[in-house]
Amino acid sequence: MKLDPRAKMVMALCLSGLALVYNSPLHLLLLLAVTVALLLSFRFELSAIGSYLKPFLSLMLFLFLIQCLFSPSGRVLLAVGTLPLVTTGGLLTGAGVVLRIVVVTAAAMLLATFSSRDFILGLVQWKVPYELAFMVFIALRFLPVFRDELVNVVTAVQLRGVDLKKVPWGQKIAMYSRLLFPVIYGAMLKAQRLAVSMESRGFRVYPRRTYLRRLNFRFVDYMVMLVFPVITIMLIVLQVS
Amino acid sequence: MAFLEIDQVSFTYPKHDKPVLTEIDLQFDRAGITAVVGPNGCGKTTLTKLMIGVLQATEGEIRLTGRPIADFSLAEIGRRVGYVFQNPDLQLFCGTVAEEVGFGPANLGYEPAAVAERVGFYLDYFELTAYRNTFPMHLSHGEKQRLAIAAVLANEPDFLILDEPTTGLDAYRKRLLEDYLKKIARSGRGMILVSHDTAFVDRVAERVIVLENGRVIEDSRRKGKAADEA
Ligand SMILES: Nc1ncnc2c1ncn2[C@@H]1O[C@H](COP(=O)(O)OP(=O)(O)O)[C@@H](O)[C@H]1O
Ligand SMILES: [Mg+2]
Repeated sequence: MKLDPRAKMVMALCLSGLALVYNSPLHLLLLLAVTVALLLSFRFELSAIGSYLKPFLSLMLFLFLIQCLFSPSGRVLLAVGTLPLVTTGGLLTGAGVVLRIVVVTAAAMLLATFSSRDFILGLVQWKVPYELAFMVFIALRFLPVFRDELVNVVTAVQLRGVDLKKVPWGQKIAMYSRLLFPVIYGAMLKAQRLAVSMESRGFRVYPRRTYLRRLNFRFVDYMVMLVFPVITIMLIVLQVS
Repeated sequence: MAFLEIDQVSFTYPKHDKPVLTEIDLQFDRAGITAVVGPNGCGKTTLTKLMIGVLQATEGEIRLTGRPIADFSLAEIGRRVGYVFQNPDLQLFCGTVAEEVGFGPANLGYEPAAVAERVGFYLDYFELTAYRNTFPMHLSHGEKQRLAIAAVLANEPDFLILDEPTTGLDAYRKRLLEDYLKKIARSGRGMILVSHDTAFVDRVAERVIVLENGRVIEDSRRKGKAADEA
């Protein structure tokens, strides 16, 4: 199926919005199924979601455990003395949090099914200033760069002989906070270098840009952009009331 | 038993079908300078990444001091083998040049005074003292390269792997690096040097391994190099 990038953006926004509103794992699973079906219809390689989420796996596990332990409700499955450790309610809340992250990531992948040029073009035709559209695009592009940068730094730190798993928590936090700034700044320098190379190739030289192609909405695009928000708003109203 | 053994190792990147390395069999002792040479893309960097456990062999086994490398954590490997990446941007992560050099020693538990002394020594040797408070990412490529080498050497590991350490260095800095590498070799530590720089390899290496299309096509010893120039 071919859709206008802007229709896909609307889709991604609606799906992420719903993921934030829903709490129950069942609802979130349904939402995930819809997102995956859409991705498949755009011929998206699903395994990319897995590799995207992999660095965040331990964080997700951590969130899951925290939710499990600290929001006890329902039937107690495991207890230490009188203290409920694992409860049905806690498990469900934990699963909900993890599923929400997965759905939002999967919805964001809808944005990866069109080219960056189409993305900018789409926004510009909506009268979004080119510079702003470009910045949004860079931010989207920047997230994976930043994630790769983190993976690199974690590898480099360990190869200097530091066993991150064995460093006590207090020291670990101190080390991370000391490294955070240089890593963010370094990643920004890399992004800036990208921007410089764009400017040197004529970005923003002329006040008005011309485009070879125009994106045109087709009937199905209008339908998507009407149906998705309407259903989303209905579902949100139903959920909240 | 050799310090580092590569035993019938093949490697294919995930989701690729063509192997990058095929049936590599090599041993390295903790002595002397070995050069790994070969055309672009023949798998030199991949081979070194396998040696330090950043990548895992698809087939075969790599052993460090007789133990499979998979049994070591990255940090345990890092304390035995110093690795200088081909791209220095990937291994500089501190706020200043001095912190970068001191990071390893400080985290290995040396006293602040001892760390400061080492930092002073390596900054001086690699002529980085003037930049001691500079943000590493603001350095030029050659300076970053020197800093990355200094930061790894400051850990004083038993064995060193340097991936293309001479790119971005001028003739004078190459000479300095050459002297230092020879000095390390004479102090009874081993080293693998990946390089395109045939003149540099000719000057320092006692053993040269030629890689082509992911296979070792030559592994020869050259007498009368490096160590005897003492
Ligand atoms: N992360 C990667 N994923 C897939 N293929 C890679 C990756 N890194 C390197 N390669 C491929 O592996 C081959 C060997 O690369 P490399 O080890 O970097 O060669 P060299 O260091 O000798 O120039 C090249 O064909 C390269 O394209
Ligand atoms: Mg290489």
